[in-house]
Amino acid sequence: MQNEVPPRLEMTGITKQFPGVLANDDVSFAIKRGEIHALLGENGAGKSTLVKMIYGIMRPDAGEMFWDGAPLKARNPKEARRLGIGMVFQHFSLFEALTVLENIALGMDGGLSSRALEARVREVLKAYKLTLDPHRVVSTLSVGERQRIEIVRALLLNPKLLIMDEPTSVLTPQEVTQLFKTLRQLASEGCSILYISHKLNEIKELCDTATILRGGKVVDECDPSKETSKSMAEKMIGGDLKAVAKGAERQFGEVQLAVRGLSLGRGHDFGTALKDISFSVHSGEIFGIAGVAGNGQNELLAALSGEQHAKADGVIELCGKPVGTSEPSTRRKAGLCAVPEERHGHAAVPDYSLANNGILTARHRRELVRSGLIKHSASHDFADEIIAEFGVMATGSKATAGSLSGGNLQKFIMGREILQTPEVLVISQPTWGVDAGAAAFIHQALVDMAQAGSAIVIISQDLDELLALSDTLSVINEGVLSAPMDVENASIEEIGLLMGGVHGETADSAKTLPTKPEAEHAVQV
Amino acid sequence: MQFRFEKRAEPSRIMLYATPVAAVLLTMVLGAIIFTIIGYDGIGAVREIFFTPLTNSLKWQDLAVKAAPLIIIGVGLSIGYRANVWNIGAEGQYIIGGLAATGVALLTQNMSGWWILPLMGIAGIAGGAAYVAVPAFLRVRLKVNEILTTLMLTYVAVNILNYLVFGPWKSPTSFGQPQTVAFNESQSLPYIIEGTIVQAGAPIAIIVALVAWFVMSRTIFGFQINTVGSAPKAAAYAGFSANKTILLALFISGGLAGLAGMLEAAGPFGRMVPQFPSNYGFTAIIVAFLGRLHPIGVLFAGIVLAITFVGGEVAQTTIALPNAAVGIFQAMMLFLLLAGDILIRYRVVRVVVAKGREAT
Ligand SMILES: Nc1ncnc2c1ncn2[C@@H]1O[C@H](COP(=O)(O)OP(=O)(O)OP(=O)(O)O)[C@@H](O)[C@H]1O
Ligand SMILES: [Mg+2]
Repeated sequence: MQNEVPPRLEMTGITKQFPGVLANDDVSFAIKRGEIHALLGENGAGKSTLVKMIYGIMRPDAGEMFWDGAPLKARNPKEARRLGIGMVFQHFSLFEALTVLENIALGMDGGLSSRALEARVREVLKAYKLTLDPHRVVSTLSVGERQRIEIVRALLLNPKLLIMDEPTSVLTPQEVTQLFKTLRQLASEGCSILYISHKLNEIKELCDTATILRGGKVVDECDPSKETSKSMAEKMIGGDLKAVAKGAERQFGEVQLAVRGLSLGRGHDFGTALKDISFSVHSGEIFGIAGVAGNGQNELLAALSGEQHAKADGVIELCGKPVGTSEPSTRRKAGLCAVPEERHGHAAVPDYSLANNGILTARHRRELVRSGLIKHSASHDFADEIIAEFGVMATGSKATAGSLSGGNLQKFIMGREILQTPEVLVISQPTWGVDAGAAAFIHQALVDMAQAGSAIVIISQDLDELLALSDTLSVINEGVLSAPMDVENASIEEIGLLMGGVHGETADSAKTLPTKPEAEHAVQV
Repeated sequence: MQFRFEKRAEPSRIMLYATPVAAVLLTMVLGAIIFTIIGYDGIGAVREIFFTPLTNSLKWQDLAVKAAPLIIIGVGLSIGYRANVWNIGAEGQYIIGGLAATGVALLTQNMSGWWILPLMGIAGIAGGAAYVAVPAFLRVRLKVNEILTTLMLTYVAVNILNYLVFGPWKSPTSFGQPQTVAFNESQSLPYIIEGTIVQAGAPIAIIVALVAWFVMSRTIFGFQINTVGSAPKAAAYAGFSANKTILLALFISGGLAGLAGMLEAAGPFGRMVPQFPSNYGFTAIIVAFLGRLHPIGVLFAGIVLAITFVGGEVAQTTIALPNAAVGIFQAMMLFLLLAGDILIRYRVVRVVVAKGREAT
């Protein structure tokens, strides 16, 4: 009986050319009703481009799409939504100055009164057990919380096809478990789901079918439940995946970064105050900070990078020198580089060329500026060096940061900071959105840096990543940092309990934390 | 068939430079049509306003005189606009700059020496910068929107000017005319071309544009201005202080407006009079945008706007076009330019309903 029903969405021969890049090359596949269909591929394989065409944001250069058997005529997202296509973007399109509810209202096509809308939003939040305060201003939300707005926005449509472009890269394990329940429920009600993720164990757990893209072409189709994460990753990259070698006998040296009693008021109404945070990181040590988004990670990163000043100079010590109230440039010169979680507009300027994005943070350490003058050729060389060493897919140092795929921009930013060989590197979400191969590469680069004597702080929501990389681990919750523990002896249950929840959510969900078999780590991380 | 806007991946460079040109050409076409419809010689209006100043070599010196202040102020404004600081009160800073220079001139009335003009220049720059300091600090300290404060202070400046020339600065020998004494030779700009009215303002405008070009494209300061303006969070992360940048951007735009004021006072006017405010400060806003907020673009845009001013005067006498016509042409130019800007960021896509394909 299923066979008589036309697929929900069918694509034939979809092709899309960007200047210098063939992003999609004759892509054909179909998504059945009620199917959870994974779209896999390396960074820059063309996944986001493909789904943007389904959602009517871009037009294919060639090829056709069929919706329930009839030609798909969505000329813009509004029409796509009317057909029942919902989408959660990799990069969110939210208005910073507006509240959650106002943002949702802007994305809705029907004229619902704000009270009725709020009731609907609260219904959805409750039904899918998502935590979000409809009246908070978006600029005060963490990336994870912003992602939740997009998910709610899509769910409000009662979609027939829900497209999710890396929806879980910034969700907590608890939220992921919850989201999967939601998605399965949606699928059982007949909604098809097109799911893009680099987390292959999630794909295995959730998806019925997977289509694999490489270089814009469909190279394989498989049943994830019959594959291992490693075998899928190898299909994606078309080669072997190397496991990260965590330099077994790393020697810790002097304390490079010492934070003593760092307290900061809430930067804005919904910021998280940092309360008496103390920790120290030695040369050669990787210090992991776990925690649910919105518990002070951004504030901590800003205090370390210098975007926020501590109350006294001595609160933060870098290689023995007090820097608590010095500017970001001063700290960089003294050896501290930092990467915030938001890439577009914070860690990088989308409209700037990669060369100029290099100047942004590397101008002192890589001497890209001399007596106030920009050294243009040096900055292009530096960008080219990053592109080559970190395998960034870009048309060159003149390409704008905004034209890179999500994972490639992340690789570029990581490369930019790592190639400055700072004494101390503080990174938020180092592998957010990068594919398995690139994640392994970044992890290896971090481990090598530590081996060479840098002190590294990794702030991440990805426990697997932290467990695989860090020597020492702390958990941040509501602005309080737990006592550091040795990763060797840490128990997942304990970490889960410490992680607590978002904004007062209780810790009982910690039990649902996944514990993954060791073998998965190399691939998953 | 339908049309819609699709965001361009990278704004096309050719379009970036083509739109200002297109805006000017379209202004001529629409202007000719509109003035014909309302009963004037539309073609003649366009000819007199846009071409006579170029074809009649007697008018070239007028162009240089008019373009200089527009360029100097426009360059300053464009630097501010790039930092996302919206100083629209350059007219006020121009007046105060002129007054500060006049103050120096009145103090040095009976003196002579090469140092007087530079001193007047410094006074002009300082006056313009000091006048914008008020909005600058209000913006940085209290987050008061600089659009309002800079604009409102323009009217204050006009009143200060009137107070001075009708009162304490009035020349004792002017037979009741509200004006200061005429500047002496050491207080007046030299003529750079014999037998013309072109004074030192024109070469200074070119130098200002070239220096600004260098600073904005080659120095980290220009990079800082652009970054703070286009991505404030990234700027903070990069270690560029937003407040310092805003202050500097405002001081530069105020200072250059003040310099233009000094050059006008010590140049064409030769003394301070109530007619000193000549809307250069406002017209320079159009110049800045028409020049794509790029110093060299501003140089050309300043000349284009100067053409309309000079041409407007020609058209008044030759075909009795009202003076307001020039304003209409200038406004039309800005409007068409801004409309064209949308086409730079977005491309119009013709959507053919049939197969769900696109035709661009
Ligand atoms: N607007 C654009 N202009 C030019 N090139 C683009 C543009 N958008 C994407 N590309 C290029 O097209 C290719 C595919 O990009 P896409 O964003 O679809 O990759 P992706 O599979 O989603 O990767 P990721 O996993 O990193 O998100 C990349 O090489 C990218 O640089
Ligand atoms: Mg993508």
